[in-house]
Amino acid sequence: MIDYQSGYILRPVKPSFIYISLVLALLLNFLPFGNHAWIPDWLIICIVFWNIHQHRYVGVVTAFLFGLIMDIHSGSLLGVHAFSYSLVSYLAIAWHTRITALSTFSQILNVFPIFLLVSLFPVLVNWALRDQIHWWGLTSVIQAMIEALLWPLATNVLLFPQRRPIDVDPNRPL
Amino acid sequence: MQNSTPPLFKQGIPALAKLVVCLLIGSALMVVDFQVKSLDFIRNQVSYVLRPLENIMLFPSDLFSFGEDYFTSRSSLEKENLSLKTRQTELSLLANQAALLAVENQNLRNLLELQKNTNFRTVPVEILFNPPNPISQRVVINRGSNHGLNLGSPIANDAGILGQVVRLFNNSAEVSLLEDWDFAVPVLVARNGLRAAVVGAGRGNLLQLRYLPVASDLEVGDILLSSGVDGIYPPGFAVAVITKIERNAEQNASNVFCSPIAEVNRHLQALALIYDPQWDAKPGSNSGVPSSTGRRQTRPKGQP
Repeated sequence: MIDYQSGYILRPVKPSFIYISLVLALLLNFLPFGNHAWIPDWLIICIVFWNIHQHRYVGVVTAFLFGLIMDIHSGSLLGVHAFSYSLVSYLAIAWHTRITALSTFSQILNVFPIFLLVSLFPVLVNWALRDQIHWWGLTSVIQAMIEALLWPLATNVLLFPQRRPIDVDPNRPL
Repeated sequence: MQNSTPPLFKQGIPALAKLVVCLLIGSALMVVDFQVKSLDFIRNQVSYVLRPLENIMLFPSDLFSFGEDYFTSRSSLEKENLSLKTRQTELSLLANQAALLAVENQNLRNLLELQKNTNFRTVPVEILFNPPNPISQRVVINRGSNHGLNLGSPIANDAGILGQVVRLFNNSAEVSLLEDWDFAVPVLVARNGLRAAVVGAGRGNLLQLRYLPVASDLEVGDILLSSGVDGIYPPGFAVAVITKIERNAEQNASNVFCSPIAEVNRHLQALALIYDPQWDAKPGSNSGVPSSTGRRQTRPKGQP
């Protein structure tokens, strides 16, 4: 796979690295930061990243199962995260050829609506079921913005093992 | 077999089909959980796996608070110790008097053939974490049905009522806080005994005191105590303090806003109150007729 930012061909991905990174992102979500709007959802960043870069390994069903775990952890209605995670993972898979070819800044703009949909989905469900808009819940737009801004960091961290050069020659680094 | 697709183009089930199935299952789960609320057994089973992981992730914050405790200076500890000692002497003095008053009150109630004051048990609980949720403000505690908690048990700390158990697991429980949507506590105004109900208006909004006429005797700063009429909250616990009153004479209604007294984010320790008004209902007076609602009058007959 070609890394469009550097122009190099990436090394093949290790499936174990993908699954370990997903579990670590889930554990990061369990950190007790309190119920604040600005805390990013590490798991959805990781899922969307692998949807875009390796959709053979992480697809809609993986997103759905991780969404169920997040539903039970957050005590929300069962199925809210599962629904929104699987929906946006389909979006990410559908857009993956386009997003990988874009520059970093354009990628941020492209993944922002994906994260916004996840962040606002509990509010929308509450609106549909109880006919009440929770204005306080709209502060989760901040969460989506922070998640989109973390996208370059996620790219650097998660693509790092694939960006290592194959033959390291200490005398001639290039 | 000659016309089958070569393995290069086999990509399994298309993502759109998977998506449709996942969305159908997801929406079915949402509707069932919202309408029937019968999926808690799934949460209970999964929580056996999730709670240990969540407890592992509590370790950094535990370490942080431990470090904070460890590096507290000696002088501030001595100061705190001194103030706690004086507070303890005051409280023990008050406790002696309270015991005397309780005995006296019980004797008078026996004389007047009023129903006895109710008792409750307490279970110490620890608040583990607030789960992330833009809609509601909840906390997870480390005690569940194995420790005697019931669905609906009130959770309080030294300041007053914090909330109520809304989802019960075997070894943990989810507690909904006072400001949660449609959370109602029957209260009485401590100053004059006026009864009302405090209703939560959702996260980030003030609590409201509903169903009160415009001429009610209320002032900003009045403290609201739980009245115990619902049989869930034991009477006499501080719930909220009135912060704003808007009187609307045309509709003969007053909008009264109040804020909760007990704050959850500062205390990790709390008490679950296990309370049943039937425990010490007076035998003899209505022993033949089981009261179905559990409601009872706890105040003397002479007062309004």
